[in-house]
Amino acid sequence: MMPSSKRPPRAAVGPFGVLLTVAALVALAPAASSGYNLEERVQRVTLENGLRLLLVERHTSPTVALYIRHLVGAADEADGQTGAAHLLEHMLFKGTRTIGSKNFKEEERVLKRIRETGTALDRERMKGARADEAEIKRLEQKLKELQSEAKEWVVENEIDRLYTENGAVGLNASTGQDVTTYKVSLPSNRIELWARIEADRMTTPVMREFYTERDVVMEERRQTYESVPARKLSELFFATAFAANPYRRPIIGWPSDIAFLSPDYLESFFRQYHAPGNTVIAIVGDIDAAKTLEMVKKYFGPIPAHPPAVRRVTEEPPQSGPKRVTLAADANPHLIIGWHKPTLPAFEDYVFDVIEALLSKGRTSRFHRSIVQGKQLAEDVSAANGMPGARYPNLFMISGTPRHPHGPDELEEAVYVELEKLKKEPVQKQELEKIVNQLRAEFIRELNSNSGLASRLSYYEIITGDYRYMTRYIDMIEKVTPKDIMEAAKKYLTEENRTVAVLQRKVNP
Amino acid sequence: MAAGPCPAGATDAQPAPAWPDPDRLTYGEIRFSPPKPQRVVLENGLTVYTLEDRELPLVQVSFLVGAGSVFEPDGKAGLAELTGDAMRTGGAGKLGGDEVDEQLEYLAAPVSVNVGMEYGTGSLSVLKRDLEKAFRIFADILRRPAFEEAKVEHAKNLKIEELRRVFDAPQRLAFREFRRVLYAGNPRGRLPEIQTIEAITRDDLVAFHRAHVFPRNLRIAVTGDLSKEEALALVERHFGDWDDEGDFSTAPLPKPQEQGPLYHFSRKGPQSTVIIGTIGPGKESPDFHAFTVLDHILGSGGFRSRIFQEVRSNRGLAYSAGSFFEGRQGYGTFGAYAMTKTESTGQVLSVLQDILKDARESPMPAQDIHLAKRSIVNSYIFSFTSSHMIAFQHMALEFHGLPVKFLAEYPAKIDAVTREDVLKVAQKYLAPDRRTVFVLGDETKFDEPLRSFGTVKRVK
Repeated sequence: MMPSSKRPPRAAVGPFGVLLTVAALVALAPAASSGYNLEERVQRVTLENGLRLLLVERHTSPTVALYIRHLVGAADEADGQTGAAHLLEHMLFKGTRTIGSKNFKEEERVLKRIRETGTALDRERMKGARADEAEIKRLEQKLKELQSEAKEWVVENEIDRLYTENGAVGLNASTGQDVTTYKVSLPSNRIELWARIEADRMTTPVMREFYTERDVVMEERRQTYESVPARKLSELFFATAFAANPYRRPIIGWPSDIAFLSPDYLESFFRQYHAPGNTVIAIVGDIDAAKTLEMVKKYFGPIPAHPPAVRRVTEEPPQSGPKRVTLAADANPHLIIGWHKPTLPAFEDYVFDVIEALLSKGRTSRFHRSIVQGKQLAEDVSAANGMPGARYPNLFMISGTPRHPHGPDELEEAVYVELEKLKKEPVQKQELEKIVNQLRAEFIRELNSNSGLASRLSYYEIITGDYRYMTRYIDMIEKVTPKDIMEAAKKYLTEENRTVAVLQRKVNP
Repeated sequence: MAAGPCPAGATDAQPAPAWPDPDRLTYGEIRFSPPKPQRVVLENGLTVYTLEDRELPLVQVSFLVGAGSVFEPDGKAGLAELTGDAMRTGGAGKLGGDEVDEQLEYLAAPVSVNVGMEYGTGSLSVLKRDLEKAFRIFADILRRPAFEEAKVEHAKNLKIEELRRVFDAPQRLAFREFRRVLYAGNPRGRLPEIQTIEAITRDDLVAFHRAHVFPRNLRIAVTGDLSKEEALALVERHFGDWDDEGDFSTAPLPKPQEQGPLYHFSRKGPQSTVIIGTIGPGKESPDFHAFTVLDHILGSGGFRSRIFQEVRSNRGLAYSAGSFFEGRQGYGTFGAYAMTKTESTGQVLSVLQDILKDARESPMPAQDIHLAKRSIVNSYIFSFTSSHMIAFQHMALEFHGLPVKFLAEYPAKIDAVTREDVLKVAQKYLAPDRRTVFVLGDETKFDEPLRSFGTVKRVK
């Protein structure tokens, strides 16, 4: 019923058919005037193994929201392994040694042979045209037999069964460029069940049903990318805007990479990045903070620390001229434009949050007033700051759907007219006030939801290293002046820093 | 039950704690009686629900009105939705549409209006300090929408563009076209088309609003940082002198098809959408709770549900697969669905049919029934996570002609469902001759021709 405010992460792929699309997120901060001090209510604890925990008591109903976030995502994958972070997230629903097996010793023997056979099959298939078809057939048959043998030992989907039976809602996970998230809400007397399951899957997950799940992800790609031209356009857009940085790759992975992802790579990826020092947990709801802390210590405390992940990420070299790319598809036109810019917590990132709101937040925003309602060139046009992630320098992005008979070129021109205004005319005080009012009110609304609060606290803690980015956000936004906006627009929203992606209709024969 | 803490194949292992059996964990009892909203009927027949909640300096307001697309005149499909859009955007009372937007956004007080198939809803969320100003606009939107000509035209243009784009998103297209065939011959099966939108005029919107939005057909819930007295005084001040009357229409209930064909919507693309649906029991039906358990086991109860488990986990044939059931007043809508690569369309259709057949032919194992019941009963507490949700539910129950005790009795009634009940409702509602089977996909690449499943009717 209520308008939902936009939440991190901005682009993520989950296992439940949920796709958090381009959510133009603006983080929220407390209203000083409301006297509502969130910082006083948040308990922040770091366990010896490096795991960070945020607790907030909220006794509205006997429920609790539980968020686990790891600082790892598609951006951490090696070349040729795109889609690994996301497939790993799927695999972590397959159980552990003590959840999902009738007899792990017996099962492990079969799993080992499945892995050997699957690896051999992948190697043969990788040869492409030179592959031995008979050998492929033989290995496929063998894999099939082993898979049915393994079924004898497997209790399928046990993690989901345990949660569902105990009344969980919102059980889900998502993978973004930056962060991987596991979340669930439970009746508040069942926190131990969550701790038992999650600590176990942070230590001894089992890659059972691996090759079937890889097929599921191929279906996910077909459903959410291949079948939807607008999604394919955004994939093409990021691949064009970034020449070197891993943000150029799709979170779900390129099809030929997904097809050969291996359990070995996923396991090494898991060990490196799902370690306690790379993890933040947020628990919000009807809890006793002290008892909950003990529960978390009991289950997560023994997980051994792992040396911090060494991250070598290719820096995006400065763009030195406009880029333009076209997708021809049998669909109505679509337009995406983006410009490189610094990420948070740089002051300029706050400035772009304000620009995003000026341009496209609500019916009084500039885009809506001038392009959607005024010239009626578009069905929709919106801005999103910080795409596709926040760990590395990112993009300020504008996307829109032209309204027939207007084309993407007319829409593009109209967008540039609005951007020129930003560069030339200082924003009026009242317009800035409106934005601050909206962000304040949204922050207060967010406090009305256990899961909303747990989501934000854990997201900013893991991304910036300090959840107070969120509580101090409005103070920073209030510092943004009309001059800052003009300067940022002039510096970054330039032609040579720009990438444009256009979906043009092409009718299939 | 000791187990090493290292991931399979890891070498940097440390000794780990023994993991307790997750099925043997014990939990303290939850004692919770949700707050009860107050209900007051004003003299003009407007029903008001209030619930005080001082946690945050916020007030939330919702309304529910008996206006929906089922009441649209022939040839004007889309009128109800446009009326809702233009109530919000086309000006209200003395304010023009642009002024409404400016004032609400400056107050950071979002208002929404959505008119759906059988009823309309709307909301306002506002900081307490701005309540009076925002509520006046909210009341005008309901009572005195101006329907400015330009805004009506704009709403029509946006809807037309949306309809032009329907074909670009195959899943949305599939569920839209499924609705058309499931409800064939009933007003619920009439869908907006570019021509029907073009045929709608401002006068139609004015007439639709006048006929359906009036105090006796309207319910309002006000919750948050204010007392019951404050809330009632507020509503009385803005709605008390409104004595319009209108039209309490009812629409005929949809009926299941008899011996219908298999509907095929031809569309190129890498994936097909397969849906098998039917008309199920309404919320007031004695079959409702058993059918809820059945639907949970078949496809809406998470990864363990039969469709998900078989189509996705066992065969890797889909990412999205499952079932949905929505009980409404007098009837319900059920569907089993999956999206799969074009080359496995026939296989998935067979699997879905087999799962439904099995539900009719063999009683569900006791543990499946037990799991579904526990799951539904244990998550029941999430119906009460906010004051506004609680008040809204009371409002919706009454609107649907259900007793207030419906909610309180829900867990006990779910718990009382037996294997025989589930078998009975499966046989009654999932019979093959009352189902609607729908496939969207590229027939040139199907693994099996659709005609091998029965008579095929091309709908495009």
